[in-house]
Amino acid sequence: MAPTTAVSPPALPWLRSARPLMMLGLGVLVLVAPWLGLGDYWSRQFILIAILALVVSGLNISLGYAGELALGQVALYAVGAYVAGYLAVSQGVTDILLCLLAAIGGAIVVGFVSGIPGLRLGGWSLAMVTFFLVIIIPNVLDLLSSQTGGALGLSGIPIPTIFGAQLVGDGFYVFVIAVTIIWFAIFRNLISSSHGDAFLVLKQSPILAATLGISVYRLKLLAYVVGAIPAGIAGVLFAFLSAYISPSSFAFALAFTILTASVVGGSQSIYGAIFGAAILQLGPERIASFQNYSLIVYGAFLVVAGLVFSDGIAGLIRSGLSQARRRGWLSGAAPIDTVGPLAVADAAVPTAVDEAAVGPLAGATTVSTPADETAAVIGDLAGEALTVTELRKDFGGVTAVDDVTLEAVPGQVTALIGPNGSGKTTLLNLVCGFYKPTSGSVRLGQVELGGLAPYRSARAGVARTFQTPLIPKGMRARAFVATGRYISHRVSMPASILRLPSFWRGSRDSDAEALRLLTLLGIAHVADSEVASLPLGTRRLVEVARALAAEPKVFLFDEVGSGLDEEDIQRLEEAIELIRRAGGTVVLVEHNFPLVLKIADRIHVLSQGALIASGTPSEIQANRRVLEEYTGSSDTADTIEELERADAAPGPPPAEPR
Amino acid sequence: MTTLWSGLADGALYALVGVGYNIVLLASGVFNFANAQLIMLGTYLAYFAAVTLKLPLVPTVLIGAAAVALIAVAEERLAIRPLMGRRDSHATLITSVGVAVALDGIVLRIWGSQPKSVPAPLSSKPLNLLGGTIEPTALLLIVLVIVVGVGLHILSKKTMIGLGSLASAEDREAAMARGVNVRALAIGAFALAGLIAGAFGVVVGSGTYANPGLGDNLALFGFVAIAIGGSGSQIGSLIGGFATGIIYAEVSRYTNADWPQIVVFALFLLILLTRPRGLFGGAVERQV
Repeated sequence: MAPTTAVSPPALPWLRSARPLMMLGLGVLVLVAPWLGLGDYWSRQFILIAILALVVSGLNISLGYAGELALGQVALYAVGAYVAGYLAVSQGVTDILLCLLAAIGGAIVVGFVSGIPGLRLGGWSLAMVTFFLVIIIPNVLDLLSSQTGGALGLSGIPIPTIFGAQLVGDGFYVFVIAVTIIWFAIFRNLISSSHGDAFLVLKQSPILAATLGISVYRLKLLAYVVGAIPAGIAGVLFAFLSAYISPSSFAFALAFTILTASVVGGSQSIYGAIFGAAILQLGPERIASFQNYSLIVYGAFLVVAGLVFSDGIAGLIRSGLSQARRRGWLSGAAPIDTVGPLAVADAAVPTAVDEAAVGPLAGATTVSTPADETAAVIGDLAGEALTVTELRKDFGGVTAVDDVTLEAVPGQVTALIGPNGSGKTTLLNLVCGFYKPTSGSVRLGQVELGGLAPYRSARAGVARTFQTPLIPKGMRARAFVATGRYISHRVSMPASILRLPSFWRGSRDSDAEALRLLTLLGIAHVADSEVASLPLGTRRLVEVARALAAEPKVFLFDEVGSGLDEEDIQRLEEAIELIRRAGGTVVLVEHNFPLVLKIADRIHVLSQGALIASGTPSEIQANRRVLEEYTGSSDTADTIEELERADAAPGPPPAEPR
Repeated sequence: MTTLWSGLADGALYALVGVGYNIVLLASGVFNFANAQLIMLGTYLAYFAAVTLKLPLVPTVLIGAAAVALIAVAEERLAIRPLMGRRDSHATLITSVGVAVALDGIVLRIWGSQPKSVPAPLSSKPLNLLGGTIEPTALLLIVLVIVVGVGLHILSKKTMIGLGSLASAEDREAAMARGVNVRALAIGAFALAGLIAGAFGVVVGSGTYANPGLGDNLALFGFVAIAIGGSGSQIGSLIGGFATGIIYAEVSRYTNADWPQIVVFALFLLILLTRPRGLFGGAVERQV
């Protein structure tokens, strides 16, 4: 049965689909501007803006989308310029397309050389490696002075040609603008694809990314290297524009200009790079005295931007649009993108607030999905047995998991209970690869998981949810659920960029699947809502949908029931029942004792890292040791009642995972 | 041996920057990119006090230490603290680079691009030591940096302040819950880093001059020092700094001026590839 609530339309659908066309129209307008009376001065300015915008867009990919600060765009820009300069001056190659190809190749190589070591640690290493790259430009150019002219620079770069024809004046202008348009189309297609969603996840939560099977390191490296490409292109254009290049064109101060342009325009945006570049290109030049204060202004600006409007101009436009929409100045549904307070407070939101927030939403749905009707919809899940054998984990002198042996089999719900600190979550982390076992083994089917990197465990078929749902800001539910399929139903980057049929098929399927799963869980009405702003219970269900989307061999649900109200618990129970019937393997870590008794097939009880009891719910219910462990009392009847009462009371707000 | 001494003197500078990075890193988990600019500012203030105001040594050092400490605390208050506890961790990357750029700009605006000579606190007559020559001030720099680095190492491992700051860098919320005054520690760390940067102004500046490119250069080599030594390890940063200085000096002795930077860069990449946590850094396990 489908929910009765209508799925709210995406905010301003016409605007969303029209934006690329608007930008394209704007681009074409700029392209033909010489025939509309654009003078020489302005056409040169436009070329310079386009060149800077290309360099800045590369930084946006690594800083804005992959979350890694790179200061070395200048160096990649220099590589492009010198490759073109060398080819044109020493080798007589003036074909600009050949030069572009060679420069892109060069930038990619330098990107890998700096990115592979620079991204090993995260944080500041990439910034520093790329910083160093810029500092050694003069040294490298000097060492290669027979090719590069050293400190004197390379002069007499000839006029470029394309298919044998010379590119001068308006021809060169049109070429530069066309290349820029093509690059931004590529950039836009990359970001508005599953890869763009993966970048968002990567930047905000590397842990979630790994859980989705994404290798954080490789995807960051890929983003950084893709960002090197436009810098190389820009270098070629600059070399042919100025016909003379020298180390002073690639000084370190330029790195700050690029960073500032990126932040001004909004690092996490596509077209922001163009705005930022235009402001930095035109602004400082207009004000003669600016030169003296430029560094101070840039620095102050970076501080202010980092503190206050970290989304730049693009962010201001976005929030302006949603303001206008809210006040009814623009048509379209009011978006649920009040990201700020709710998303930041995410973990700190007390249960009471969540429950209050559930009110109107829960009222809007009259759904109670009958299990037998939907069982057919979920299809068969190829569950595999999860076998944990004498698994042990020591932290220094503390044994968090003490030689635990247990098995979770397909078509059953295996619950793991125990007091706080008994090692339940540690056990899950060992299965997921966030910890390496001290000894013992974890097997999924025939595959040994112990010691695998988290993303490899995920690829082997482990899906999990978190005590506090890990949900990136700025993502709609259907896109978030679809990230579960990023690895299992991968669409290649070239296919996404070129919008090949496989891209359309892949995104249509993912979208339909996401919607189907949300419907299955009775929350189809939130499909187009921003997930981070949903109430806790709904966020948990969205996470379950995300886990289902990956079609994993085992589901690990970490305290999935805590903080949920009756109705959400009901839905959750149904969802778990569905997975069980479809043949999935479910491991449930849970504090809600009545819930566990109700849905688990087998229960394992942990205490201080060791397994103290295993059995069916009725066996565990009758086990005196378990009751003692939980309450310190041994009077069975009383304590059960006590337990149930304790669990009915709202739990403490879950702790922020890191 | 003379090469070795000059390598050690340069290395002391890098170690000093690395020690400053570590102070803040250990107390609040923030990498303060602008720390090298604080040292640069120290050299300018030394020039200002000693040459412009013609003050004697002691007030010069005190003024430098107090002023730079004040600026470091202002940096913490304005550019770092508002971001603490926020989720998007890369915002401090941007703001601390912003502070560094602004300090570069301020120095250029006030003192111009020509380096200023800072008078040496000790005689400039080179000493003959272990078969090489070294200026007394450079020797003083080496000794002082070692004393500060070792002292801070002991402080962070053995005292309550040190342990509290370790805890707060590791897990801010948990440390707060344990009654660690996280905010005071962060302010204290910035103040201490600023104090040290300012106090070293005279000793550093007499060797390097007060020059506007000093900040960027030191930032880079200071980072190499902690990359080698392992971030968070004060002793490691001393060793990393001195090693970088010696390698730089030895390479410059035998090759032309282009190679030392490139060799140090290659070494940096090699360390990141093979020992990404540095020679003395421990492995850190992730948790969920």
